[in-house]
This record gives sequence, structure tokens and C-alpha cells, in this order.
Amino acid sequence: MAERMAFSPVPYTRRRRAVKFMLPLLGLVVIWQLVVVIFDVNPRIFPDVPTVLRAGWGTIADGSLLGHVTASLWRVTVGTVLAILLAVPLGILMGVSRGVSSFLSPLFRFFAVLAGIAWIPIATLWFGYGFGAITFVIFNAVFFVVAYNTLLGVSTIPMPIRHAAASLGTSRWQLLKEVLVPGALPNIVTGIRTGMGFAWRGLIAAEMIATNTGLGYMLFLARDFYRTEVIVFAMIIIGIIWLVLDRLLLAPLERATVERWGMVQRS
Amino acid sequence: MKNLSLENLSKTYFDPYAGTTVNAVQDVSLNVAAGEFVAVVGPSGCGKTTILNMIAGFVPISGGRVLVGGKEVKGPGPDRGVVFQSFALFPWKTVAENVTFGPKMRGVGKAERAKIAEEYLALAGLSHAADRYPNELSGGMQQRVGVVRALANNPDVLLMDEPFASVDAQTRMTLQEELTRIWEERRPTVIFITHDVAEAVFLANRVVVLSKGNVLEEVDIDLPRPRSWDRLVEDGDFKGLSNKVLQLVRSA
Amino acid sequence: MTYAQSLWGMYVRWAAAWPALSAFAPFVPLIALWGFVVWLELFPRVFLPGPFEVLQTSWSLLYKGILPAYLGDSMVRLAVGAAAGMALAIPLGIFIGLNQRAHDATWPVLLFFQAIGDIAWLPILLVWFGFGLTTMTFVIVYTVMFPVILNTVLGIRSARPELERAAQSLGASRTRILFEVTLPGALPNIITGLRNGLGYGWRALIAAEIIVGTSGIGFLMFDARRAGSVDEIVVGMIVLGILWYIVDSWILAPIERATGERWGLVTT
Repeated sequence: MAERMAFSPVPYTRRRRAVKFMLPLLGLVVIWQLVVVIFDVNPRIFPDVPTVLRAGWGTIADGSLLGHVTASLWRVTVGTVLAILLAVPLGILMGVSRGVSSFLSPLFRFFAVLAGIAWIPIATLWFGYGFGAITFVIFNAVFFVVAYNTLLGVSTIPMPIRHAAASLGTSRWQLLKEVLVPGALPNIVTGIRTGMGFAWRGLIAAEMIATNTGLGYMLFLARDFYRTEVIVFAMIIIGIIWLVLDRLLLAPLERATVERWGMVQRS
Repeated sequence: MKNLSLENLSKTYFDPYAGTTVNAVQDVSLNVAAGEFVAVVGPSGCGKTTILNMIAGFVPISGGRVLVGGKEVKGPGPDRGVVFQSFALFPWKTVAENVTFGPKMRGVGKAERAKIAEEYLALAGLSHAADRYPNELSGGMQQRVGVVRALANNPDVLLMDEPFASVDAQTRMTLQEELTRIWEERRPTVIFITHDVAEAVFLANRVVVLSKGNVLEEVDIDLPRPRSWDRLVEDGDFKGLSNKVLQLVRSA
Repeated sequence: MTYAQSLWGMYVRWAAAWPALSAFAPFVPLIALWGFVVWLELFPRVFLPGPFEVLQTSWSLLYKGILPAYLGDSMVRLAVGAAAGMALAIPLGIFIGLNQRAHDATWPVLLFFQAIGDIAWLPILLVWFGFGLTTMTFVIVYTVMFPVILNTVLGIRSARPELERAAQSLGASRTRILFEVTLPGALPNIITGLRNGLGYGWRALIAAEIIVGTSGIGFLMFDARRAGSVDEIVVGMIVLGILWYIVDSWILAPIERATGERWGLVTT
């Protein structure tokens, strides 16, 4: 018999885990500084730690970092939320019939593999440079992956489970609410996680090309002036934001559904 | 509880690969009285699960009718509760939520549902597990939930499709004893599909032996109740009936 | 037997005999719809070309030899990058997966570098290597590497101890156990990592070609964007989609299934 998972949110072990996670990263910073000092690396090629920190503080002090970060996050939020709101109902609608879902799934796979970056040229043509084009790229990256995963999730709900619901007197609306949506949820969450991974990269790429604000633009602007220290700082910020988003928001969500419910997941 | 009757039930499948039709069930007629426990046995491929799926309304009927309390059935419905071999519990709902799923679908209020959950979980000896998820239970416990989930919806007929086939032998015997106890207490109308002859004889009032989509023979089981394995395992009548059914199944 | 039944039967038989072809079935109504929308002239042609124009453009690009040359460039870059990425990532992943200390010391760093994401490296790579092949190769290798490392580590670490014990009690040495038991057990994960890595690598390649490119499908699309020729952009997108669809569902997914499903291992 499977014992119940022990959820023990003891702050002590959490802190220990956080320390265990941070230590190697601190080690990396120390190695970085040592390498730069010992080998006397040209700061144009790779700056040392204090220079990057100073540059970072500069962007924080003049408010430009906050501007770029909010611009990027706002685009991601709008694109992702819109995509999820449209993709989940559509995926469920198509997944309801097995015939329809197996017929349509190649279409969605096709667009899912195109997701994100490949849409940048046509998006800039349709929407011009700026918020519209970038949000469209993010929307695309998330929409097709989530729709495809939702379709997959609904169509892989075991037949006996649907039969059980039917023989317990479930109406159409109740079937949707009580069975199809929760049954597809692990797949939906996985889809969101994958889609946002593509969207985040698409965002950086699109911002390099098609805007004058945001983290990608910050990177590219710094390159134009050979401000390597700003480039490195922006890269670190990008890494931290995605790590926080993925590990503290998306991964726990995935675990809460997939593991607790014991539903096996195919990637 | 109502009676159930099958009138000349048939099922023909269309095989798209071979381009031909297959007769899985032919002209099966059967009457189950209200409050009767009928077990259906037969070798694999004899159509017993197909019959149950037609009664439940999961697959379309090719010929004949299914009547519950004199009314013809169309499609799945809450008048026929089903217990599945694969349990088919909702993984995203707790044990209590699974048990009260049917009442919830009927629009029964929260307080009333809590009472139902309490009653049926006690019946299955699962009161301690109300807030667990199915994944956190053993197979035997999961099927207890499956049985009381179907009962808690007050069906007219209970359909059980090899419900104990996927639990270990020890647990299976316990579950069989619990099922007879629950049946004696509440007297539901039951159709129980199994390939285990001893299980059929132990549980049922009547055993129907199926062969190649037809009813081969019906055997009345007049063993006294309450039944328990301790008593029956050495019982001469039980052995005789089991042997008789076994011979029929092997000849099928 | 009704008419509908026999028709359905024909479709099922056809789809079973030609599973690869049945994947194209849903595209027929989509292209028809596309043609219809263009025919209605809801959007100007400059924004949305028709299927026929796109076909014409792709034929002329093929005829001029631009499409094959660019496609070849992109494929070679991806293949070289993927091969190099795997050659680095798999041994590294095995090492980290087998060694608890190495795991503790590197896991957060790996996650962090994975999180920075390929494309964010482009500006600094341009500073280091300029606009050229080195920059592009670096990006692809980087992108392919991390998902493969992370998944290899996961695969090695989730090896079932009873299998290793079984091998041990059958007299296998430590190296034999690694090659006969642990690695095959991790293979489905490694392939999943490769599949993810190539998926990201493919996108990184497009981005790199758009930003630094002088050739390749990404460059073709962005060059067309600059010239405002929307049909060439659409050709590029379709080629990208088809190509990756073929690679992913006819090569990678079957390999993944062949190992994971055949052996009954769950790939997570």
C-alpha cells in the first residue's frame, strides 16, 4: 500500500535546501572572479564581478532595469494568459471526440513545432515593431503547445473513467467540469510549462529585433556599445527570472497535479 | 431496487480491418429479479463483458432490448451503477468526493453529501481514508471505494465487471466476504461478471454460464447465507456446485 | 453494412496502411480554408499571400537553388551542433549522475545556465566571435547540451536499484553494470533530453540566423521580411514546420517510443 506522501513544510529543511542550492552558484561567482583576476581577462571580453555589480547597480539606480523587466514580464503575462484562455477550451472541444482528435492532432503538432521564434518575421510584418508583434510571438509559442497538450490530455483520459462518469449520471456540462478539465490538467500544466519555455526564448529573440524596451533589447543595446558588463548582468537577470518562474511556479504546479494524483505523464 | 431483463440481446461488431462483421453476443435472454444476485461466468471471449457493456449503455445494442424495472434503457444512466475491473476512480478527487460523485451530479447539497460519504465509507470500512486520493490507496481499498461509489448513487441495478480480478488472492477473498455482507444488508439487484467459478458460486443466487455469445446453462445456488470462506471452503454443497459450474465452463 | 460504415472502414484501413500519409489529411481542409480567406480578400495580399502564390514562390526559390542551399546550411549547422552537444553532454551527464558530490556541486549551476537560455547568449557571443559560424555553432551546442545533460542525470539517478543488485548478484563488475544496466535504463531519458534539446536547438538556430545570419532558413525569412516579401516568409515557415515535423515525429518520437514503450519504462 502506498503510504501517503509526507508533506512537511518545516522551514529549517527548506532553508537548508535553499542554502544547498545557492552554494554552488556562489562557488561559480568565486571561480569567475578568480579566473578573471588570475588570467587578467580583458574586461571587454569578460568583466570581473565588481564591474558587473556596479553596472547592475547603475541600471537599478536609474530605473532602466525595472522598466525592461516590467516590459518583458508584461508581454509574457498578456501573451500567455490570452493563449491559455483560448487554447484550453479549444483543446477540450477537439479532444472530446476521439475521431476528431486523432484527425486534428498532426495539425496542432505542426504548429506547435513552429512555435515562437519562427513567427517573428511575419509577426513584425503584421503588427509592426513593438508590443503587438512580441505579444503575438509569445501567444503563438504558448497557444499551440497548450492546445496540443490539452487535446492529448483529454483524449488520453481512460475510457472506464468516462464510462464511470456517465453511469453516475453526469450531464455534458458536469462531464466537462468534473472529468475532462481535471483529467487533462496535468497535460495542460505540462503544456504551459513547455510553451512558456519557448515563449521566454522567443521573447528575448523578438525583443532583440523588434522593440526599444525589454530585457532582450537591453542585451542588444549593450552589445552595440560593447558594454559587456551590462550584457552579463542582463543575462544573469534573465536566468534568475526564468529559474524563479519555472522552479517556484510551474514545476510545483506540475508536481501537485501529476504526483499527487499519480497520473503518469508522457513528455 | 428493480428487476432487470434482457430480451434477445445481440451484438455484432464491424471489423474495419477485415471488413467483416463479428457476432459477439447472440440472442441472450435473461431475467434478474429485484434483489437477486446473478453471476455470469464463461471463458474469455464468450461475450460476458460485452453483455455488461450493453446493459450499462457503453456500447450500442445491435439487437434486442434491455429493460430495467420494465423500462427500456438507452445509453448510460444513473439507474445502473457500474463497478469496473480497473476501478475507474477519479484520480483528481478524494475518496469521499469519489463516493459522493453521483449524488453531486444529482444536485445533492454539501451537508447531505457529507452524510452520504460518512455512511458509505463506514459501510466499506474506509472512514479513515476519506480525504486521501485514490493513488494513495492499495488496490483492495480502491475497489472498496469503487463499490460504494456505485451504491451511494442508489442505482436500481448494480453491474460488476470482474471487479476483483486485479487484486491479490488474499484481498479478493476479503472483498468477496464484504460484498456478500453488503448485499445481505441492502439486497441490491446485481449482475456480476467473472471468470472465477468459485467466486461466482460463493457470491450468487444464480450462476449463468455463457458460451460463444449464448447462454449455455443456469445453475441455482441455494447455499445458506450469511456465507463466509471459513465455512464454505470445506462445504460439500459448495464443492459440488463449484465442480458442476466448472465442468460447464470447461465444456463451453 | 451501411455505406458510411464501409467508407469509414476504407479510411481506417487506409490510415492503418499509410500512417505517415494520414498525418497530412487535416492539412487539406486547412489549406482550402486559407485559400478561401485569401480569396475573400479580407486582408491585403501584402499581409497574407494565397497558397498558390506561396507554391509559386517556393518553386522559384527551389529553381534558383536558394532554398536547397539555405536548407542545407541550416541542417548542417543543426547536425554539427547537435552532434557536438551530445558528445559533450552525455559523458558529462553520466559523470554527474553517478557522482553524488558532482551532482550537488553542479546541479544548481546547470539549472541556472539552462535558464539563461541560448538566445540571451547571442550578444556576448557576437562580442567574442563576431558575426559568423562560431557564434551560431556555440548557440546550438549550448542549447542542445543542457536538456541532454539534465535528462541523462535524471535517467542515471532514477535507475532502479533492484536491477543493479540483480546484475551484481549475477556477478557483473561495476563497469559492466554501468554499460549493461544503468545506461540502457537511462537511454529513454537521454533520448527524451535529445528530443527536447533539438527542439530548443532548432529554435535557437532560427533566432541566430535571423540575428546574425548570412544564410539559412532563418536568414531567408528575415531577409524576406526586410524586403517585405511575405510569401517568402510563409515559404520559410512551412519548410521549417515540415522539416521539424519529419525529424520529430518520424525519427525522434519513434526512437523514444521504441525504447521507452518497448521496455515498459516510463519516460518522465
